[in-house]
Amino acid sequence: MRPYTGTCWKLPDAVSSDQLIGPAHVFDFEAETLRKHLLEEIDPRIAAEAKPGDILLAGRNFAQGSNHSHPFIAMKAMGLGLLCRSISRGPYRLTIFMGVPILTITGEIYDALEHRDRIEVDFTIGEVTALETGTTFQAEALPPHLLDIVKAGGGFEHAKAQEQDQKPL
Amino acid sequence: MAMTLVEKIFARCAGRDTVTAGEVVWVRPDLVTVPEVAFPAYVKRLRGVGFERFSNPDKVVVAIDHEVPAHSQAGAERNRLTRQLAHEFSVGHLFDSEGITHPLLIERGLVRPGDFVAAADSHTAVIGGAGAVGVPFGFETALLMATGQIWVMVPETIRVTLTGKPQPGVGARDIALATMRELDETAASYRLLEFAGEGLAHVPFWDRMTLCGLCIDIGAKSAVVPADAVTVAALEEIGVETTGDVVSDAGARFCQEVEIDLGTLEPLVSVPPSPTHVRRVSEMRDTTIQHAYLGSCASGTLEDLRAADALLSGHKVREGVNMLVIPSTRKTYQRAMEEGILTRFTAAGATVLAPTCGPCFGGLAQLCAGERRISTSTRNDPGRMGSAEAEIFLGSALTVTASAIAGHICGAGDIAKGRPS
Repeated sequence: MRPYTGTCWKLPDAVSSDQLIGPAHVFDFEAETLRKHLLEEIDPRIAAEAKPGDILLAGRNFAQGSNHSHPFIAMKAMGLGLLCRSISRGPYRLTIFMGVPILTITGEIYDALEHRDRIEVDFTIGEVTALETGTTFQAEALPPHLLDIVKAGGGFEHAKAQEQDQKPL
Repeated sequence: MAMTLVEKIFARCAGRDTVTAGEVVWVRPDLVTVPEVAFPAYVKRLRGVGFERFSNPDKVVVAIDHEVPAHSQAGAERNRLTRQLAHEFSVGHLFDSEGITHPLLIERGLVRPGDFVAAADSHTAVIGGAGAVGVPFGFETALLMATGQIWVMVPETIRVTLTGKPQPGVGARDIALATMRELDETAASYRLLEFAGEGLAHVPFWDRMTLCGLCIDIGAKSAVVPADAVTVAALEEIGVETTGDVVSDAGARFCQEVEIDLGTLEPLVSVPPSPTHVRRVSEMRDTTIQHAYLGSCASGTLEDLRAADALLSGHKVREGVNMLVIPSTRKTYQRAMEEGILTRFTAAGATVLAPTCGPCFGGLAQLCAGERRISTSTRNDPGRMGSAEAEIFLGSALTVTASAIAGHICGAGDIAKGRPS
């Protein structure tokens, strides 16, 4: 999996699942619809302007609240990666399951990066580079069994590949 | 090796003698539940990658509970497709407009103490009230239906010991909110809450669903009240045989201990913007409301309806307040009808609807900007029930009913004293 290079969209602490995609869209699972609504309440420019390789940089307790899959379907369709200071188990699993690369980062990294900075993130080794300054930070990469799921493109693709290789799931 | 309740459950589901908190293991859940919200989308995605059957369809429960009755063409199509696909995939149980999944599982005798239920829906922790562990997995539940197994990290357990006896008007909701005051998301995340202590004797069986269900909103993995004499008696009435007690061993490791003296609690309410923002009802009396809702998987039990009915006796819903009552299952609805409760609610000016998740997630009875609702449902994020400029407060069935009578937030004690009217 190649490093993600793009714009950093900085978000505050405790962005809720309902703020990521409003509950009005709970019945909709089409990626092309959902991506238009990602974070629209907080900053509608993200859905309009974010490009594949861009990174959502979130604070503590990202995606708290209802355990909705929708935001991660949208993030996958948009080609976004995720850096966050903390995330509870429900959205953490969904991020990986949808094939969205993720690193949990320290406050130092969060504070060092500004909204709209250019950054590069190698999710396979946990390396974050602020391209504006050239400073490189080290975060802990995903454990191998979860990184494999992200590399495969998500849980379904990973399961199919395992089935074809006749490996136990 | 001494194990906690959840370690024992995950060891059994992993086919192992022991597991330890922090381990990642593959488990086969006892039951998998999916609402109609997601079921057709899950099947579509599974078929897209070539899965044409479920690994163990007998263990799959599909529920049409979120948009009931259908009130949109899309909803009607979704519900029809759900019925069709549930049949095609030979699922073990289809709950079609019969109530909300989580209380229905208990009411139908489908969960026993020590069971592990994997769910698509967030509030599956409700079944912790019956001594079982429910964990939400969202879209991952789709793959689980196809393969029959899922990886889990065995969680650490926080023991919440309840002591003392609650004052009249204080119940499971208030205990859950008191727990939220003790534990923030940093403490609860990735962990399971296990309730203990002699205070549990004062938390009736069906109220335990409220207690456990709301703990998911602290950010916990799940919550459970280990089976005791109350559980066994209630499940026997349903016709469920309980085989052996699945409880934590003496000497099992708890990562944190919290003690709550029920005698010191007063009615509590969650204020915007999230359930964990907890205040005393007595602090919030200046807050006028236009809407009151009694229902959802965190309430809407026969016991809650009876308590609300008793409080409403001799009173009316205040003019200008819309009170909505939705029993959580069809059986509860029928019992409440037979007892005359629904008749008296209607006579007092409340609107009664058939069982559904509806208003809890904004699928029904939406709010306008500037309006306020007090509700027994699960979450109060801005925009959860319509306009992001509406405000949602969460309290017990008694607090919601008292507030509907008064037209502002207040507790049952205020009504008994005749204070607001």
